[in-house]
Amino acid sequence: MNGGKEAAFYLKADLQTKEAAMAAIRELKASGFNTNDLDVFSDRPVEFPPGVLDRPSHMSLFVVLGAMTFSCLIVGFVYYTQHDYPLITGGMPIFSFWSTGVVFYEITMLGAVLTTFSRFLWESGLLRRNRRIPVPAVAPGTICLRVHCRQEQLENAGQSLTRAGALKVERLAESA
Amino acid sequence: MATASAINADDQVRSDLWRPLSGVSKKYVIVLAVLCAVVLWGLFAWGYQIQKGIGVAGIRRPVFWGFYLVNFVFWIGISHAGTLISAILRLTDANWRKPVTRAAEAITVFALMIGGLFPLIHLGRVWLFYWLFPYPNSRLLWPNFRSPLMWDVMAISTYLTGSVIFLYLPLIPDIAQLGQRATGWRRLYRLLSLGWTGSDREWHALERAMKLMAGTILAVAVSVHSVVAWDFAMAVAPMWHSTIFAPYFVVGAIFSGLAGLILAMTIIRKTMHLERYLTPLHFRNLSKLLLLMSLLWLYFTFAEHLTTWYGNEPKEMNVFNARVRGRFAPEFWVMIFVNFVVPFVLLGIRRLRSITTATIASVGVLIGMWLERFLIIIPTLSMPRLGAAWGKYSPSWVEISITVATFATMAALYLIFAKLFPIVSVWEFETHHVEEE
Amino acid sequence: MSNEQKAEHRWGMAIDLDRCTGCQACVAACHAENNLPVSDPESAAKGRTVHWIRVDRYYEGEFPDVRVKHMPVLCQQCDEAPCEPVCPVYATYQNPEGLNVQVYNRCVGTRYCGNNCPYSVRFFNWFDPAWPEPLQLQHNPDVSIREGGVMEKCTFCIQRINRAKGDAREEGRPLKDGDLQTACVQSCPAEAMVFGDLNDKESKVSQMAHSGRATRLLEDLGTKPKVFYLQRAK
Repeated sequence: MNGGKEAAFYLKADLQTKEAAMAAIRELKASGFNTNDLDVFSDRPVEFPPGVLDRPSHMSLFVVLGAMTFSCLIVGFVYYTQHDYPLITGGMPIFSFWSTGVVFYEITMLGAVLTTFSRFLWESGLLRRNRRIPVPAVAPGTICLRVHCRQEQLENAGQSLTRAGALKVERLAESA
Repeated sequence: MATASAINADDQVRSDLWRPLSGVSKKYVIVLAVLCAVVLWGLFAWGYQIQKGIGVAGIRRPVFWGFYLVNFVFWIGISHAGTLISAILRLTDANWRKPVTRAAEAITVFALMIGGLFPLIHLGRVWLFYWLFPYPNSRLLWPNFRSPLMWDVMAISTYLTGSVIFLYLPLIPDIAQLGQRATGWRRLYRLLSLGWTGSDREWHALERAMKLMAGTILAVAVSVHSVVAWDFAMAVAPMWHSTIFAPYFVVGAIFSGLAGLILAMTIIRKTMHLERYLTPLHFRNLSKLLLLMSLLWLYFTFAEHLTTWYGNEPKEMNVFNARVRGRFAPEFWVMIFVNFVVPFVLLGIRRLRSITTATIASVGVLIGMWLERFLIIIPTLSMPRLGAAWGKYSPSWVEISITVATFATMAALYLIFAKLFPIVSVWEFETHHVEEE
Repeated sequence: MSNEQKAEHRWGMAIDLDRCTGCQACVAACHAENNLPVSDPESAAKGRTVHWIRVDRYYEGEFPDVRVKHMPVLCQQCDEAPCEPVCPVYATYQNPEGLNVQVYNRCVGTRYCGNNCPYSVRFFNWFDPAWPEPLQLQHNPDVSIREGGVMEKCTFCIQRINRAKGDAREEGRPLKDGDLQTACVQSCPAEAMVFGDLNDKESKVSQMAHSGRATRLLEDLGTKPKVFYLQRAK
């Protein structure tokens, strides 16, 4: 997000309604900001219509891939370990796909579960949050829009936000 | 979205749902102390059993599995509460489920933890339980993945992992709220919330993850109880070797889980003064679901028994007759009464449907489903194929103590959970609340 | 022992129900030979006795024409044993000589095998065994003592089989029919039980197994037991 050594400025605006937030985002996008510089903070999820603030997500793909990976791993594990260890099965086949099918299914689903959780942690940015970027405090029920901009864009952004109906536009100080 | 009155309502919601977390009342402490005493007694009974030998339990040849397996299946069944409410209702976008989800998911996690203990409790040499896991060892030993008990190990591990994640994910925003102005030990909340700030990226990721988890958890839950059912169905014992077992157990699990949820909700509603949040609407909807599951359960039970009776195979008829008109007849007919007749009357007749009757029906269903597990396991094992080996089973104080202690454990864990986290999901409720306006 | 090795022997047993008087000498002999735990009346009432071989009684007819059929039931050493696939730790398996072997050290005590045995011939050690004085002096040193929490069952006196094979090998001769008998077979006063090698076409047990009266218990389950019961001639 913060490219290069230029100083980063953060503006925050408190908005009361979802429509005001949408208007503000449109204004800012028209002024040349892209969605990567905009963040919306709230204490409950806000549903914008598609096209306003899209965050592309590849979670489903990753989950399917994760499940398939675990699936292959477990089949391989069961097959090779059962052949490696000198198992005495007394005539039963060393590797029986249908008898052990449930194990494959469960570990596949475990793969899906773990991949979902990991991808959630990645896509939400929770564990790799840059502590220096300031986070506004959100009053319950309000929406807070944070804009990351360069010095020359500051005034422009501030005007766009006020036009959209923001009650208060503030500069956020970077955390040490 | 946020008008002045709405902001005040939000404060009211928050204070109502957070009030239980602010302190403990004397009643709470006494109840928790009693429950902990019962749990300790159960642990003592288990320790006694490990030390003296599993013979202190009432199990014997031919009834090699007794109360412990009944409890195992029962608690894994109860764990389907969360799956039904969270997963199925989430997938169908039923918004009325929102205040109820966390209570249901908590039941799932705790019931799984308790249910997962029983395979350990019933082991003859429990100190060697780790042999059931595939770990590299110098003796070149390996578990048998063919065995339904190994399937159990895999299935329950997967389900427990999934349920904990499923409970934790929607808890994060609430924990973040609680951690905001926290002092003292409550600063742990900030750690637990992983630095959640409420940004839209985080919300998007959360919603996507919950949608995917709901589908996955549903698939896992169906498989878990099928696997538990196959512990019995894979055996050639009379009236066990039936193809109906897998779906039968899944239906029974959702049925008992629902009943457990209704009971938990009634208790929460009364003791934490959440009448505005767990409304008669919720109980009405859950009652309809309970009635539906009762009919479905009856259908499966009838199909199973009709097929057995019509087939008239002698070894199976021994078990059938013992269940329906013999030694186990009292348990059987009580089960039919509380699993079908009571819910049908109390919840089917619209005028009788209320929170009280829903609770009565639920308690009955919990008893009935426990009896159903009992009636699946004990009669079959008491009457094996060779008549000379028939036997009678009666539980000992050890089994009864451990059974009662698990109920106390569930209640205690739930009480502690309700004190640490809001039992009604605050952010989901606020969203739902606003949508309703 | 690998799975593919073609075994020299295939142990089986034949029991002539026409000769069995129900005297239970076989039961006593098995107790003595295999260090079986002893019960007391209280445990017996609770179904906790261990009899690797037991004599089942079937009554036919009405008084005064009652006839009793005595049937010694022991582990049938099934070729397709239902107890084997369900053990989560491979504590029971079929050895190349056809015996269903129970590995005491490996058993963790889930008791699934006991539930799945249609003949109910598996027994569980509910406690560590204890013998009243002076029975503990009578133990067979060739047979291990099973601790509490472990399943056990008839082994076709595998210790006698191993000793006989060892003796034959040392003396450089093949094992003959009649060289070895299990404890129950040895002690039967009516000579109703015969033990031997089913692979040997000349052995007594093979001949009895091919008799017109030979049946197997619960054959329709497909367990392929190796104990042949010769029904009574009418």
